[in-house]
Amino acid sequence: MIALTLLMTFSAVSANAQNKDRRKSFKSWDNYEITTEKVGVDGTKFVKVWGFGKTVDAATMAAKENAVHACIFRGLPGSATAMSTPPICPNPNTLETHEDYFQTFFAAGGPYLAYVSMTTDGVPSGTDRRKVKGGYKVGIYVQVMYDNLKRKLEADGVARKLSSGF
Amino acid sequence: MKKSLLIAALLLACQFIGWSQAKKPTIMVVPADAFCERYGYVQKVNAMGETVSSPDYSRAMKENSDIRTLVAAMADFMAKNDFPIQSLEQELKRLQTEDAEMAMMTGRSGGEVEETPLERLRRNARADIILDLDYEIHRVGPQKQVSFNLQAIDAYSSKIISGNTGVSSAANVPMTSLLEECVLSFKDNFLSGLQHYFDDLFANGREISVTFLRYDNCPFYFDDDIVIDGEDYEFGEWVEEWFQDNTVEGRFTTGASSGNRLRFTQVRIPLYAQNRKGRDVAIDADDFVKPLVRELKKKLNVTVGSSPRGLGDVWITVGDK
Repeated sequence: MIALTLLMTFSAVSANAQNKDRRKSFKSWDNYEITTEKVGVDGTKFVKVWGFGKTVDAATMAAKENAVHACIFRGLPGSATAMSTPPICPNPNTLETHEDYFQTFFAAGGPYLAYVSMTTDGVPSGTDRRKVKGGYKVGIYVQVMYDNLKRKLEADGVARKLSSGF
Repeated sequence: MKKSLLIAALLLACQFIGWSQAKKPTIMVVPADAFCERYGYVQKVNAMGETVSSPDYSRAMKENSDIRTLVAAMADFMAKNDFPIQSLEQELKRLQTEDAEMAMMTGRSGGEVEETPLERLRRNARADIILDLDYEIHRVGPQKQVSFNLQAIDAYSSKIISGNTGVSSAANVPMTSLLEECVLSFKDNFLSGLQHYFDDLFANGREISVTFLRYDNCPFYFDDDIVIDGEDYEFGEWVEEWFQDNTVEGRFTTGASSGNRLRFTQVRIPLYAQNRKGRDVAIDADDFVKPLVRELKKKLNVTVGSSPRGLGDVWITVGDK
């Protein structure tokens, strides 16, 4: 009986820890899905990105943030007709080194919004809008002004210019 | 007080380093040999009884509008990155004009401009980084699709800096649109590869090749023992020691080594050095070997010459210039 109680307690603790881990990874900024839809017009990237939030609007904003975040730190995966895109800042320490800069950049209504625009109007619907525990998960199609974003980060000294040093 | 002086000195040092910029490599888009063969842009030359075909870039650029579209699109994004590329077409035209002008040139007293066959041979279109471009058009039912292959090659080490291959979407649109889509597709990956190469250049120095050639009036062979500073050395061994002392972290590879020829590859040289006036200046392969040439002349009492073949390749001739 004691052994059974111990086993049950151990299982409960272990499951709780797993849930905590899952929640932690779910909340992590790197935990989002993004796919390149096709080659965008000059200087832009056309992607489908997912975001999570308590409301649909909050999830949409999070998705926009994720799209810009991916262009800067993660890069965009390739697809059948579009090559992958490398991150603007490939150095893994960039976020830590320029933490204050990115806090302001990604603040609510921050400068990042100038580099992303939704390609469709209205609220995401159908399979692109999912009710999940704690809010909504939405997928939106966005156009990221990749070249403009790169120029901005280069001008602000966050990314290195191709011609710097020459 | 001491601290502020130290900071001021550091800032001054930074400014000095900032003034001297590394020598910028030239970049040129060149149609790949395979592309020229496929579309018939080749010249047949009879070399010692054997027919050899070589790419006819001039014809390819004149007759193929697609390649011009690709070059224009690439030139555009490179210019936006403050790295304008050299135009192969214009460079070929310039050389033609230069040839005509040099043939007509005479001095006031009737003198002619001298040019050795080697100088004539070297006066051709060249770049430090070659963008070797190839593409093929495929038919997918009524639609067209373009597959492309772009390689950025270091002209001196023949190393591929950045390689990109891929296909465009299949569509029934003008070829120009598909070609532009290709360029937009590989653009960022290509730039990233180039950036990686430049980062390596700044961190570990420029990679160059140095070749020693022996003229027949040189009194010794490169594998002979000679006396330098009162000690017996094999010539090649002494040169290797010089490279060990003067390259970045002593990094170089001894390639071919024989009595008449020595070749050093993957020689990492600093991007800057001090000139005779003690000022920091950007250097290339020729500048790097100048002190070596001077030392050889002084220690061996032979004629030594250096002949640059671009930013990253130099020939040193011993026995004559």
